Amino acid sequence: MIIEEGVLKDGTKYILVEKSTLIEELNNLKNQGYDYLILMSAVDYKKYREVVYHLGSYNDNRKIVLKVRTEDDILQSSTPLWGAANWFEREIYDLMGIKFEGHPNLKRIFLPEGWHGHPLRKDYDMSKKQYVNMKEDGTDLVSFNPEDGW
Amino acid sequence: MRDTILFTTIEEVLNWGRSNSVWPFTFGLACCAIEMMAAQGSHYDIARFGSEIFRASPRQADLMIVAGTVTKKMAPRVRRLYEQMASPRYVIAYGSCATSGGPYRFGYSVVEGVDKIIPVDVYVPGCPPTPEALIYAINKLQEKIRKGETEK
Repeated sequence: MIIEEGVLKDGTKYILVEKSTLIEELNNLKNQGYDYLILMSAVDYKKYREVVYHLGSYNDNRKIVLKVRTEDDILQSSTPLWGAANWFEREIYDLMGIKFEGHPNLKRIFLPEGWHGHPLRKDYDMSKKQYVNMKEDGTDLVSFNPEDGW
Repeated sequence: MRDTILFTTIEEVLNWGRSNSVWPFTFGLACCAIEMMAAQGSHYDIARFGSEIFRASPRQADLMIVAGTVTKKMAPRVRRLYEQMASPRYVIAYGSCATSGGPYRFGYSVVEGVDKIIPVDVYVPGCPPTPEALIYAINKLQEKIRKGETEK
């Protein structure tokens, strides 16, 4: 269900959809010829997080932007529709903390495993520094104690 | 006979030899590495100063040029690569990120200077420093090596 639609500054059409109908709307767009997921990003507006899908069509050079808002940070994964969503969703999970249900491998993509918090969120605690060290087998250890770092 | 004998110490000869064959390690972390590559290329050509070729293995390199931002995730790897280098080994912190964290200093993921992890011989300011600055840094390092004043 489309809540709002309009045009972005660069002339691209955008739609804001209801969270519960996200996969349905994405599927509709895919059937309309948007076969390419160009980019996914996320914005923190404090009260809610907004995930933005930039879709494109190879056949007739169209672009469209789909936005969806979430307050509980849980969304349906779009990996069954576009394989490219896999790493985008991992990145959004890593830095913004939004969980994608149905994702095949939802773990951190940039930060080491065990990092506390999601740093691009507005409520991320910047006062506590985290330090990283490495075990012999190459896995990372994260700690708040500088003595444990590197 | 008077002009053909040279009196010196072993240490001095070693330092002289080492200072004229400082081979760097192929190791770039960010955009500063582009300037480092330019310094190695034919236009600037640090081979003229004895830094003949970039070695692709820490075992064969004498000098680690830390060219770029050291992130917290990379820090233990930088440390391990430094430890894998054979002694004597030298470090140049190249650019403001490697010396102090630079513009990313207050970020969540950046180490405030590579000297928190490994001992640094020469710091090069700039964002990024020019290849001439790297050549000057290598000359400074050579002076330090000849005097035997490097961090070990």
